[in-house]
Amino acid sequence: MVSGMSEFSDTHLQELRRGTVVLACLRLLRTPGYGYSLLVHLEEHGFATDANTLYPLLRRLEKQGFLTSEWNTEDSRPRKFYVTSAEGNRLADTLSADWLDLTRSIASLTDDPGTPEEN
Amino acid sequence: MATTLTERYINATTDSLPPDTQGDVRAELEASIADAVESRLDQGEDPATAERTVLTDLGDPVALAASYTDRPLHLLGPRYYLAWWRLLKLLLAIVPAVAVGGVALVQVIVGASIGEVIGQAISVGITATLHLVFWVTLIFVLIERSGADTGPDWNLDQLPEPRPTRSGRADVIASAVFAGLMIAAMLWDRFRGFVRIDGHDVDVQILHPQLWPWAILGLVGLLLVEVGLAAVAHARRGWTVGLAVANTALALVWVSAILTLLGNGLLVNPELMSLVFSGEGGAPETTRVVGILFVLSVIGASAWDIIDGWLKARRGAKHRRADADAAP
Repeated sequence: MVSGMSEFSDTHLQELRRGTVVLACLRLLRTPGYGYSLLVHLEEHGFATDANTLYPLLRRLEKQGFLTSEWNTEDSRPRKFYVTSAEGNRLADTLSADWLDLTRSIASLTDDPGTPEEN
Repeated sequence: MATTLTERYINATTDSLPPDTQGDVRAELEASIADAVESRLDQGEDPATAERTVLTDLGDPVALAASYTDRPLHLLGPRYYLAWWRLLKLLLAIVPAVAVGGVALVQVIVGASIGEVIGQAISVGITATLHLVFWVTLIFVLIERSGADTGPDWNLDQLPEPRPTRSGRADVIASAVFAGLMIAAMLWDRFRGFVRIDGHDVDVQILHPQLWPWAILGLVGLLLVEVGLAAVAHARRGWTVGLAVANTALALVWVSAILTLLGNGLLVNPELMSLVFSGEGGAPETTRVVGILFVLSVIGASAWDIIDGWLKARRGAKHRRADADAAP
């Protein structure tokens, strides 16, 4: 009945999800992780992300001080491990609180049948 | 190990990165790609396919590099687009016209043929437009890359004023007053004379004496038609395409009449010419340049009159449409 709607709804979904990847990274990297492992973990937790989005994002978050990194040369191949910094944890708390606020707000919209004649 | 594709991919990505980050990005990308390929191999893919798939998923290396350095992947972003567009429109309305006019004037004065004048004017117009668009755009691209400010933000005072869309009474009055002044000037010129030359008792006429009375009557007629056009536009509550066509025809009649008279030496009083330019060293040359300036002014004014008529017709059509929509 509403063919062609999915194309637009996909865009809206993407816009709604943009930014949640940052929160997911900050949370997952409380235990140190490297690029590819984080990519897999994100997908497992329902935050499927493209590699070409994630890798630059990690460097950006590191540059902004929310992540710190360290090269680990003990494994089979040298890998750069990232871990969430104290500042990153604070940012994650702020983002989570805001997300919860939003959830409540959205719930209030869904529960409220709407009062268009108000005022 | 088939490392060549991966090496080439990583080289293509890191080449445009700042030198201090190249080594780190390279090492990290090598590990990430190797991890991804390995995971595909574990699932039973053959090495060549696994490598190709992983690299293809990473996408255009230049885009990836841009993402690493926060470089924009557009020529001009939304922050600067409107400033660029406004400035470009403003300059395009002024610069090519001035360049074409200037070149045409110089070409005519140095005695180029009509074909040369037109050819030069067109080529200068195109060149000026191209240069304008290119340099203005380039400057904005550089500004965006350097992150400079584009000046004050938009505010409410910049909203365009509503234009008077109706051909107002003011138009009719203005054109009637203009016609009256012109007619009075021609009569004064004919019966009293405008120019008093030193050492002459009598004032000299500007217009050629042979223009009286029929050609002068014709000019008066044309002036009255102009007033009539403005009146009709007022009565019809705005210019129409028909009026714009009539206005164009009228302007062409004006130009051809004046140029024909001038070309045949029938516009300006020859006595005045000899009085004004007598005794001067470069008299013929001066006369010629003054004549060229006069002709170009007449052509320019008529061209503007024609364009103005069409612009008004377009605005009038828009306005009548709005009226029709408002009162169905």
